[in-house]
Amino acid sequence: MILDLILPRKSKYYVAAFALFGTLASLAPLVIQWATYSDPIYTFGNSFVVDKFSIILKGLFILITYLTFLLSINFIESDKFYQGEYYYLLLSSLLGALVVSSSRDLLTIFIGIELASTPMFLLSGWKKGDRKSNEGAIKFFLLGVLSASLILYGFSLIYGLTGQLVFADISAYLLANSLGSSPVLLLSSILVISGIGFKISVVPFHSWAPDTYEGAPLPITAYLSVSSKATGFVALIVLLTKVFESSGQSWGVILAIVAGATMTLGNLVALQQTNPVRLLAYSSISQAGFIIAPLAVSGITGNYQDGIFASVTYLIIYAFMNMGAFLSVHLFTNFTNSDNFYEWGGIAKHSPLTGVLTTIFFFSLAGIPPLGGWFAKFVVFRSLLSTGEIVGISLAIIGAINAVIALVYYARISKVIWMDELKNPEEEKTFEFQNPLKVVGVFTVLITFVAGIFPGIFSYLGEVSSIFFGN
Amino acid sequence: MDLLSNGTGLTAVVFLPLISALILTAIPKSQEFLIKGFALVSSIVTFFISALLLPQFDFSNADKLQLGNKISWIKSINSNYEIGIDGISLPLLILSTFITVLAIIYSIEHLPEPKSPKGFLALILVLETGMNGTFVALDLILFFVFFEIVLLPMYFMIGIWGDKTVRTVAGLKNQIETRLYASIKFFVFTLFGSAFMLLGFLGLYYRGGRTFSIPELIELGTNGAFTGTFAMLVFAVLFLGFAVKVPMWPLHTWLPDAHTAAPTVGSVLLAAILLKLGSYGFVRIAIPILPEQAKAWAPAIAILSAIGIIYGSLACLAQTDLKRLIAFSSVGHMGFVMLGIASLTPIGINAAMIGMVAHGVITGLLFFLSGSMAHTYHTRDMGRLGGNMKLLPKTGALLGFTAMASLGLPGLAGFWGEFMALLGAFNPLDGLNLTVFRGSMVAGAIGTVLTAGYLLWMLQRVNLGEPSEEWNEMELHDADGYELAAWIPLVILTILIGVFPKLIFGATNDAVVSLLSKAFGG
Repeated sequence: MILDLILPRKSKYYVAAFALFGTLASLAPLVIQWATYSDPIYTFGNSFVVDKFSIILKGLFILITYLTFLLSINFIESDKFYQGEYYYLLLSSLLGALVVSSSRDLLTIFIGIELASTPMFLLSGWKKGDRKSNEGAIKFFLLGVLSASLILYGFSLIYGLTGQLVFADISAYLLANSLGSSPVLLLSSILVISGIGFKISVVPFHSWAPDTYEGAPLPITAYLSVSSKATGFVALIVLLTKVFESSGQSWGVILAIVAGATMTLGNLVALQQTNPVRLLAYSSISQAGFIIAPLAVSGITGNYQDGIFASVTYLIIYAFMNMGAFLSVHLFTNFTNSDNFYEWGGIAKHSPLTGVLTTIFFFSLAGIPPLGGWFAKFVVFRSLLSTGEIVGISLAIIGAINAVIALVYYARISKVIWMDELKNPEEEKTFEFQNPLKVVGVFTVLITFVAGIFPGIFSYLGEVSSIFFGN
Repeated sequence: MDLLSNGTGLTAVVFLPLISALILTAIPKSQEFLIKGFALVSSIVTFFISALLLPQFDFSNADKLQLGNKISWIKSINSNYEIGIDGISLPLLILSTFITVLAIIYSIEHLPEPKSPKGFLALILVLETGMNGTFVALDLILFFVFFEIVLLPMYFMIGIWGDKTVRTVAGLKNQIETRLYASIKFFVFTLFGSAFMLLGFLGLYYRGGRTFSIPELIELGTNGAFTGTFAMLVFAVLFLGFAVKVPMWPLHTWLPDAHTAAPTVGSVLLAAILLKLGSYGFVRIAIPILPEQAKAWAPAIAILSAIGIIYGSLACLAQTDLKRLIAFSSVGHMGFVMLGIASLTPIGINAAMIGMVAHGVITGLLFFLSGSMAHTYHTRDMGRLGGNMKLLPKTGALLGFTAMASLGLPGLAGFWGEFMALLGAFNPLDGLNLTVFRGSMVAGAIGTVLTAGYLLWMLQRVNLGEPSEEWNEMELHDADGYELAAWIPLVILTILIGVFPKLIFGATNDAVVSLLSKAFGG
């Protein structure tokens, strides 16, 4: 199993190297499992499963954590932070994410969700002396606890209704007693959507995200906006399609409204931002709208396979390009010591390489071919239009308009760094681009291009989501 | 030369520029000579490969798609790397590879500020990949990807190397540099159109049995697979996507800004090739796949084209900026192209095809000339220019010649497109509203008069008269070798196409006739 993650000891010096190695090493069992894969394996009384779906997501989580470590190394060393705890907490969060992708019962998934998010409360307040960091962490903590209680309340309703914990048993019970349209089930699904809505920061549960993102150390922000979100999405996908499958009509509509509002609001607010991290925070809110839109429509139409395919594909591509975007923000913020990107005028001239990387990531987020983002948007549109449902078509139109709005602020960054005048042309400053960061850059840029030019590699995800839904 | 069939040749034409651009970025900045040389050689090689395709191309079967290939690309959505050319795309493909060579020749000595040849030339080459790819793509998704690839290089070309004049823009509080405003406007307009176009493609995909293949969809479309409100809406969104690019009135407002702000070579490529992507989209995709809807929309397109012609020429009469004038003239000329397409007759669409090529050659040359003059005089204000013939005799003579070509003088390339478009509009496809089309034709005819008017007026203001005193002190350089090398081929082409229009019709006619007979029977 993957659970044999090596937890790092608190030896100050080697801990970073050890964590990196451990994370990478934990990919090995995944690869072996993938190669020798035959049928889904169920353990712990059907509450833990290893299938292709979960293997892919585990791979994603591990890779993202690995990239976060690489992002963190110099950051953590440069300040007087606690190294051992930092890595320990991140790894715990990773463990939570890994559990979520495999869990198939209410308790396990709850533990997974909380294990993934609790360490983040601490990590987002890591910059102890910084007021913004403290404010963000407190907000995050309070709302996080609230969301946990909402999820738990939702779960308790299901348990009360069915007396079952394992997903398969729950849906069997619901089917047998034809409780699909029971109001209790609907209420429970609303509670669960709200609770997880906090984690994935969709409108109207998004308000904590920009503050927390701004206050947290940048690698943690990247992790929050990619891995934490992905964990939430996976939990949402699993719960909605495995537990609340029978009431898809109702939660589908709710989710569709949430998706439309999320895309639009996130984008409109992002247009106003001058802080790159807040800009990415709002942009990631808007992207979350794109990710849940196919899920919403699949709830209404019942064609889960298509919806999950689109959501997961989007999630994976988004994860890497967003990671890359944070990398470039990290580099430029460090270089200029300014968190107002309008002051970054012409800095691409100092480091054309970083300039090109930034351009690639931001235009990929905007969905311009041949960068990976276009395929992500494309599969979402494809899934939205698949059945000709009015909800799907409306969401597709809202999405298309939003794609254009988003371009304005994504392009703005490129505009500033390439086209604006340099602030202090005489100033000679060396641009620091540390080696671990270079690895992150190369890795994410490769994925962004491959996903855009040979999206065929994602075709197996279609197959995988069919397996996920076949059992 | 069998090597070139089976899609290898076309693939090379599409991807060679991209690969060269990547190699270019690896050459160190200091090696300027190497950078320029390499870019030039790679564009010439690309052009040669596209020219070598000519003997391979079977002109007696110009209506069939040839030299193509089909390789699985994105299996899960059944999208393929499907390419090929027929008589419609062949001239445009060659035009594209050819103009790129000229653009690079011109750039060798005349790089706009801030120089940095590496980035500039690499962008031109990436742009070429997008343009060539659009003309050979036979899969909607592939087409979409190439259609969009052109956006990024053009955005940066305008934004980085564009006009730095500060101006006030209605609706914006602060003044803004022309290049910044124009580049994002260009990007947003086009993306707006193409985002909806993509939704339309997806609509066709689902109704057409999950295929993105253009030939297959044409087969389905001509057999009446797409009907009703659905098809009308799909045509509407495709129209939106292509019409922004053409651009048709009233979606044209990005064009004058982009042209005025773009560096010379950017304007040339924009006018010569990029605009054609839109009108090509109508001929390749919208009309053959949705013939009935095209018929229903044709009168609207004709009216918009007629408005575009009149509006474009009137706007030209009001300009003081030389480049802006040429930009608006593009709106008018593309109006003729679209009027020809709207008539849905062989004569009209042939007119559109030759009109596209002619506009590419002539307006490309006009932008070269005006860009060069702006560089020499440091102004584009026609009020200050004057006596150009005396100051820069070579440039002035070429400007006179090109203006004549642009106003449609018989014997030069511009004539055929305008004349035949009007002819097509006079006698449109059976069943189309005659009043609308004849009205549009009359408007178009008035437009030709206005066109002649503003071009002659432009010549009078710029070329004739006595030079203003302010140039006495300045050393003005007439066209140099690189400029002439870029311009003379265009002059020759203008004359050749004017005298032997069969150069174009020979390729396009069969394809156009077969397209229309498939779409509308008979």
